[in-house]
This record gives sequence, C-alpha cells and structure tokens, in this order.
Amino acid sequence: MISRRKFLTAVAAGTVSAATLAACGAPAGQTGSADNPVTITYTWWGNDDRAERTRKAIAVFEKKNPDVKVNGNFTDFAGYWQKRATEAAGGGLPDVMQWDLSYLRDYAQRNQLLDLGTVKINTDAFDKTLLPSGQIRGKTYGIPTSTNAFAVYYDPAKLKEIGVAEPAGTWTYAEYKAWLTKIGQAGGGKYFGGSDFTGIWWQFNIWLRQKGIDAFTGDGKLGFSKDDLRTWLNMNSDLRGTNAVVPADRSAQVKPKSPFGSNLTVSENTWDNFMAGYLKDSGAKELKLVPIPSDDPENLGLFLKPSMLMVASAKTKYKDAAARFIDFMVNDPEVGDIFKTSRGVPASKTQRDGTTFEGTDKAVVDYETSIGKYLKDAPEPPIVGFGTLEAAFLRVNEDLNYGKFTVDGAVDQWFKEAEDVIKQNA
Amino acid sequence: MTQTLTRHSGAPAAAPPARAPRRRGADTRAGYTFLLPWLLGFILLTVGPMLSSLYLSFTNYNLFEAPKWIGLENYTSLFQDERFLQSVGVTLGYVVFGTPLKLAAALAVALLLNAATRGQGFYRSAFYAPSLIGASVSIAIVWKAMFGDSGPVDQGLSFFGINLGGWVGNPSMTMPMMILLTVWQFGAPMVIFLAGLKQIPQELYEAASVDGAGRFRKFVNITFPMLSPVVFFNLLLETIHAFQIFASAYIISNGEGGPAGSTLFYTLYLYLRGFSDFRMGYASAMAWLLVIAVGVITLIFFRTSKSWVHYSGDAK
Repeated sequence: MISRRKFLTAVAAGTVSAATLAACGAPAGQTGSADNPVTITYTWWGNDDRAERTRKAIAVFEKKNPDVKVNGNFTDFAGYWQKRATEAAGGGLPDVMQWDLSYLRDYAQRNQLLDLGTVKINTDAFDKTLLPSGQIRGKTYGIPTSTNAFAVYYDPAKLKEIGVAEPAGTWTYAEYKAWLTKIGQAGGGKYFGGSDFTGIWWQFNIWLRQKGIDAFTGDGKLGFSKDDLRTWLNMNSDLRGTNAVVPADRSAQVKPKSPFGSNLTVSENTWDNFMAGYLKDSGAKELKLVPIPSDDPENLGLFLKPSMLMVASAKTKYKDAAARFIDFMVNDPEVGDIFKTSRGVPASKTQRDGTTFEGTDKAVVDYETSIGKYLKDAPEPPIVGFGTLEAAFLRVNEDLNYGKFTVDGAVDQWFKEAEDVIKQNA
Repeated sequence: MTQTLTRHSGAPAAAPPARAPRRRGADTRAGYTFLLPWLLGFILLTVGPMLSSLYLSFTNYNLFEAPKWIGLENYTSLFQDERFLQSVGVTLGYVVFGTPLKLAAALAVALLLNAATRGQGFYRSAFYAPSLIGASVSIAIVWKAMFGDSGPVDQGLSFFGINLGGWVGNPSMTMPMMILLTVWQFGAPMVIFLAGLKQIPQELYEAASVDGAGRFRKFVNITFPMLSPVVFFNLLLETIHAFQIFASAYIISNGEGGPAGSTLFYTLYLYLRGFSDFRMGYASAMAWLLVIAVGVITLIFFRTSKSWVHYSGDAK
C-alpha cells in the first residue's frame, strides 16, 4: 500500500520534474538565433500541388532567415475553418495563417488576429485600392497574397462542337441569357448553358455594384432590400428548367466537382484563379475568360479581391518572426515564381515582376490586365457571419431550382436567415 | 515514482481477504486507486464536457467570446427553425423505416445461416464484413458512386427498363439510398441473432414437430418468443444507433445535407450549426434534446417490452 506521505512526495516530485521539463522547452525570448532558432507554425488550405509549392517557399525562407524555423501543415478548405474555430476556442491559433476574406471580420472583430500595423511589413509594391480589403475599422489584419477577379469562363472547343459563337467580351444580361439559351438548344441535353448564375453570392454582389448599391452597410447590416433580391432571382426565372441552366439534380450528382469541370456546362461564372482546377477537372485544352455581363457598359461592378490573405494570430509569441514570414510570402520575387497564378495573380509588383507567366497563367494575368479600366475599389471585408449567409444563398437557390420554393419564398427564407445571423452577431 | 508504485501495487492483491473495518477502508482506497485512470477519463472526458455542454445550451456561445446566458432561448428558437424541423423529420423517417428493415434482414439471414450447411463460416464472415467496414468513409464514397448518375445501380435498373436516373441528386431517392446503406450493414445484429438462435433448446422444436407444427408455426410460437430478449436488445441498440447517423450522410451530401435538405440528418445539422455557423450554444441545445428524445424512446421501449419480451423463467 502506498502511504499518503509517499504518494504525495511522488506526486510532488512528478510535478516539479514536469515543470522543469516544460521550462527547458520554453523559448528563451521572442527572437531566435542561427544556433537556437524560434519555431513558428503556419497553416494553409489547398491540395498537394500547393503543399509542394509552399514547402519550397518555406525552404527558401529558412535559408534566408536562419533564426526562424517554419512548421507548416494544411487541410482542405471545408475542414480548414472548422479546425480554426476549434483552435480559436482553445486559444491556440497557429502563428501565421492563410486566410479568406469571408472569415476576416469574424476573427478580427473578435480579437483573434494580430494588428499587422504594429509590425514591420512592406506594402509599397501593393496597389493602394487592394489594401483596404484586409483592413477593418482602420486596422490592417490581413495582407493579400494575390488577387482574383470575377469572370465568365467558357470552353471554346465545346462551342465549336455545337456551332455557337464565342462571346465578344462585352454584353448585357439579355445578350448573356440569349447566349445561354442558344447553347441549351444547340447542346441538346448533352451540354447545358451554365449554372444558375443567380445562386452565386459574388455575382449578385457585383450586380448590386453595377446598380450602385453596397451589399453591406458600415454598421454590419444589409445594404439591399428584399425587392433587390427578388428582382435578381427573377432575372433567371424564365431559364430555370430549360437547358440553358444545368438541372439541380445533375449538378448535385457531380459534387464536389462543378458542373463546368464535369463537362456538363459550356460556361461558368466564378473567380479567374480557378483556371488550373477547371482544366484539370474537365480535361479541356483551353478555357477562355470574358467579363461578366452588365447593363451599364461603363460600370461592370468589377473589383480585384484578395484571393487569399496572410494573417497572424493575436496571441503569437513571435510577432517579429511572423511578420518577416508574411512579408516574405507576399513580397519575395522567388515566392512569386514558385506560386505563379496558383494563388491568384500575385498582389505585389515585385512578385509579378519576378515571374514569367506562360500558358494558362498568362491567360489569367491577361484577363486581369484587360479589365483594368473597369476596376473599382474592393468592398470592405464582409460582415461577421458572412460564411453562413453565403452558404444559405447557395442553398436557397438550389432549393429554388429543385422547385421547393417560389422566388418569393426563397427571398423570405434568405432574409429570415440573414436577419437571424445579424441579430446573433450584433 | 514508477518504482514506488510497482513496489506497493502488488500488496492489496496479495493481502488476505480481511474483514476488519480498517482493512476494508484500505481495500476501498486501493480499489479507487486502480479505478483512478478510468475514473479520471470518465470525469474529464465524459461528465465534464456533458455538464459544460448543458451549461452552454443556455447561452449564446460563438467559440471566440465568453458565453452569454440567454436562458431557454436556444430551445424555444429551435422550434421556429425550419431546418431544425426538417432535420427531425429526416432523422425520424430514417429511424422508423431503416431500423425495422435492417433488423428484418439481420434476422432473415441469421435464420438461414443457423442451419448447418457447408461453408457456414465463410457465409457468416461474408455477411458480417459490410458492418465492419460500413461506417468507414470509403464505403460512403463507394455508395455515392454506385448510386450516382450512370452508376452501376442506374445502369442495372435501366436494363430492366426502370429509369430513375442518379439517386444522389434526387431528393426523393436519397432516403431510400441511405436506408439501403444501413440495411446492408446488418452484420452486427445478425451475429447477435445467431447467438440467440443457438440458445433455443432443440427439444422445443422436436416437441412441436411431434405435435405436427410446420415451419411457420415453429417460428411464430417458438423461435420469436424465445428470441424476443435478443430482438429487444437489437431493436434498442439499432434505434439509438440510427439516431446518431452522421459520417455517411456527411460524405454523401458533401457535408451540406442536400439535395434540397433531404439528407439533413439531426447530427449533421447540429455539427453545421456548431462548427460552420459558430452557434455552439444552439448546437448544445440540439445535443441535449437528442439525449432527452433517445432517453424517452428507450423508456417507452422498456415499458412496452413487458408485453412481448419473454425471459426464460418468467412467470408468463
């Protein structure tokens, strides 16, 4: 039998040695040296391709900064946010993270992210209209790595196959819809025109901008009315159920791939940096990009969005090392050449200049150059809870295409959820 | 410390069974010492989280900020949430149709396998295999591919002139698909049924044969009543199990519960509320409602079981 005294002694001894061990592992300070480097953690979402490129970039960073080691790991996009939520709840976010605009406000406003204005990051080579998209209430929380812009993708080979002309590049919504209808008729059930474009939040957002409406107000409310959304969803009501739009059950079948990547549709409206993924999914040789339709030829509502941002945890112990790593990832020309357009078009000029773009990379860069004259300031980071709203937007549209809702029902349903989210986060 | 423990830990077992109160106290202490690792795990990993989830269910908690007490608001707003009601409907449909079908399949196959035939061992393993691998992610992926557009199931049915198209994208076919998946995994209840069938005394069948009873009569009057405790056990276990369906629904619907909410199972919606919408208080309330619902259903089962479950040695 263990006597109480012996038991307590043993426990005490164990505690002391554990504490000693912990003390040995603890960092001596906030900065490291080549002999005793500090280790920062970095996490990103993506696939194997991005992982390989990131490892290369980290190796270059460690060579240039021998006093810092970077411990990296990644997951896919869906799992990424669930993991961050859990870490934030436990107070243990990684030191540096790849970030998405949709979640910037959720985390920044709840004091989870480091104010990057308090550390040294060079933003001289950035377009000044882009930087506000990483800022909330005047503080910078995220630095864009790269940009993407909204576009209509189409597959020229399929158009040729069914004998429909390629779009000219500027078009009204009526012309765009007529084009989808023509594809639907000529495609004869083998190819559909495109996905229901009214179900894409960002396309709706751009349409609002074309009409001079901001999607969200500065105090975190909706900037548009039920009537706006009703008008928007009604724009496609004559196409739903025809071959101009891919049927809901067909696109549900091919998930998680897109109908466009699965060769069901001839066009798709989305961000221009999806090029490589679409080419791989569909096996097409070439895909082209044109600006999305607008009824006002002078205002396309387009903007450059940071395709991803770099942020740091508010609780990081190594602010200096984290800042140097972010600076390196967004500015270093070698990094630009490693990633090309796989993160989007590099945001800083030094990275663009240090890279040669060829083939599909060139097509994406050329598209962003071609729309340069239409670009306006990017919208502010969306409201807290935006991730939920965007998912609901997509879901309500899917239900609409399944015939579960009328347009009026869909509008009511989305507004109900939006008001609930806004109330929750007020 | 390890040394101290090993030197002393042998003592209680070696000690003679003592009756003196002082020794008994020591035995108790030793017992608790040995129990400690499990007890700690139970308290820290089960009771603790359950209590904190009970507390959180009365709060508005977004994972980042301290929970705000809102009383019963989560519970009341649940019943105005159409998605919540839909998830209840979907789950109940799955439990009500899936569980009896699964048990019927398990019992039918157990009866077949109970007969002494050649290659019995092989068949038993073959039928049991799906329930071993059934909960895995890979099977859900295979299932999705099988029932997809122009997948094997679609092709096979077209051969017989039935054109249903892909099941995965059709809201009215996803539930039959999910039920087929669970029915196919009947291995675990089947093994328990087999064990139960072995327990039935052969004399009863012989006596019935003498009285001229046919196969059907034997089943109704001997097999089922004798097996009823096992049926009850399986029914209870599989019902509780069915309420907790998550992984296959998550995979087949890409974690969305679609198409048109037709696979929005209770636990899937709970998960989405907690980790995608950052509504952990709401999710906790849902979890507790599930605990209560399953508890009530179990209670009803036990109450009604008296009329149809027969234990050998019962007065009935």
